[in-house]
Amino acid sequence: MNTAPVLQITGLSGGYSLNKPVLHDIGLQVQPGEMVGLIGLNGAGKSTTMKHILGLMSPHKGEITVQGKTRSSDPEGYHSALTFVPESPLLYEEMTVREHVEFTARAYGVERSDYESRTGQLAALFNMEDKMDTLSSHLSKGMKQKVMIMCAFVARPALYVIDEPFLGLDPLGIRSLLDFMLDLKKSGASILLSSHILSTIENYCDRFIVLHRGKVIAQGTLAEMTEAAGLRGLNLEQLFYELVQGGK
Amino acid sequence: MDLKELRRQRRSRFMGSMLPYVGYVIKSGVAMLLLLVLIVFSAWYTALLRDTPADLPIRWIMLILLLPAAVHSSFRTYLQSPDTVFLLPQGHRMREYFAPAWVSGNVWKILRLAFILITLWPLYIRTDDSPKQLLLTAVVLIAVKLLSSYGLWREIAMLSRPAAAGLRLLRWAVGGLMIGAWLWQPSLRALIFIVILAAAYLAALSVPNRHGVPWERLIATERNQGTRALMMLGWFVDVPGREQRVYGRRYLSRWGGGIAWRRDSAYRFLLTKSFARGDIFGIVMRMAVLALLLVWWNRASYAGSGIYLFFLFLTGIQLSALRKLHSESFWLTVYPLPAGSKGDNTTQFIFRTQLVLVLVLGWPFLFTLGERPLPAIGSLLAGALLAYFFKVYMKRKALDPDDDL
Repeated sequence: MNTAPVLQITGLSGGYSLNKPVLHDIGLQVQPGEMVGLIGLNGAGKSTTMKHILGLMSPHKGEITVQGKTRSSDPEGYHSALTFVPESPLLYEEMTVREHVEFTARAYGVERSDYESRTGQLAALFNMEDKMDTLSSHLSKGMKQKVMIMCAFVARPALYVIDEPFLGLDPLGIRSLLDFMLDLKKSGASILLSSHILSTIENYCDRFIVLHRGKVIAQGTLAEMTEAAGLRGLNLEQLFYELVQGGK
Repeated sequence: MDLKELRRQRRSRFMGSMLPYVGYVIKSGVAMLLLLVLIVFSAWYTALLRDTPADLPIRWIMLILLLPAAVHSSFRTYLQSPDTVFLLPQGHRMREYFAPAWVSGNVWKILRLAFILITLWPLYIRTDDSPKQLLLTAVVLIAVKLLSSYGLWREIAMLSRPAAAGLRLLRWAVGGLMIGAWLWQPSLRALIFIVILAAAYLAALSVPNRHGVPWERLIATERNQGTRALMMLGWFVDVPGREQRVYGRRYLSRWGGGIAWRRDSAYRFLLTKSFARGDIFGIVMRMAVLALLLVWWNRASYAGSGIYLFFLFLTGIQLSALRKLHSESFWLTVYPLPAGSKGDNTTQFIFRTQLVLVLVLGWPFLFTLGERPLPAIGSLLAGALLAYFFKVYMKRKALDPDDDL
């Protein structure tokens, strides 16, 4: 069985300024078929970590590999292996929903037949069938977020990096998203998910990484983390509160 | 809160953001070329005045050139999205904020109108059988201008968008009828007609329901105005972060669907959609229609060839603005597009579009092949060569490490 991690971050330090790193010696892995929750307070470094994974920021120190490839050695292979759902939708105003999904499929080299079948499935799943030919500028925020999710899911790469996906989604959308992520996970995809809704992700993620002030202060399954902290029996929200309060 | 002062500060800030580019505009080759065109136009116009053709349709020329200048209106409000929260409580006082926008919008556009009128006037008085007085004509045109500005303001505030679209058409029709009446009819009869038409138009404007302050529409309009100003600067110098205005254009929605399903042409798909629904397409189309008319009119002379090449150059400049589109696109950083495909796709797209323009704008020359085969074929070849030069230039720019393509 292939147990090489899909995402491996080793000794990552980074940030906007060389003199003031935001991330300090981050180390984490996401295995194939694993959903990992990245949790932390505002400003803990979750989005900065994701920006480093996406190649939007360059590490001061350390290395990031996706499917064993670094961004510098094989940029096309690196980016082909991951997709991203941002916290705030970033859409081209001049394109319709369908065109966004099509552009993504073309960029990731998805076969046309796969694109067509996946698009139909995703549109139905996220209740977007009657909005497919609407310009993105005419969509509500929740619908824009659904477009982002559809774009990410049409590509079917090995790794999904998902930042606060539930913001703006209606309850049905949240349920559809979670169920779809579980299906993806079963099919072998890896997901790194950041969210503040701990009660929701507690039931869906296999492992958690707790970031606090740019450092990983705990990681593992909920049982492993409570065990390590000597706080057995706590749920994720209670544990998180104890961990970050303790770190004050 | 001093709303007048707030607008003044925002205006200063905007002008301040434009100022750093002025030097580049002056230094740019395009500015020099436009200056050259102005000098050539002045020489041509002086020659035309010396030897005015007897059958010149001067009233139509006056109408065609004065109508857009008199009816087209716009205002810079400098409103921003957060104003829907922070300025909302000042809604009842926003007249103070908008008054300078209305005044300054009209002053500049009246100056533009006066410039066109004064430029046309020598030609008009030489060719028209019974020319009107300059002062009275200016007064009539300014009245049309103010009425149109007021009409536009009302259109923006209307609740119903179909009603606003209908009144927009009415505004242009009313403007055209007023100027036409003034040019073709005796002065007194024309003035009576203009007054009656203005009263009817004002009555029509008062019917649809309106917002007190149409915040969202004004903010969207302001965003478009700012974008247009940056786009004009973009003709001369690279302006970062420019967003383009988007138009639905459903009739073009299938354009791009036939592009080869390959990763290396994925960006072409995005570019095609952006061009089809962006402002550059509208500008190029307007230029192309004007060029086609002028080339058709002058197809049997060297002036036609000059006009043809000049407009091909101008459309080339416009199209090359596509290079800067999506220069800061987030997804182009994240998506696995093959290296260099953005630059290649852009260069190819612009070259192909220019070749289409070479053929479409040069089509009138085909009717002169019998009498003037060499100038006709030569013009088309020169057009194709110009498109090729643009392609070479863009390829070179794409290789420039300082270029962000």
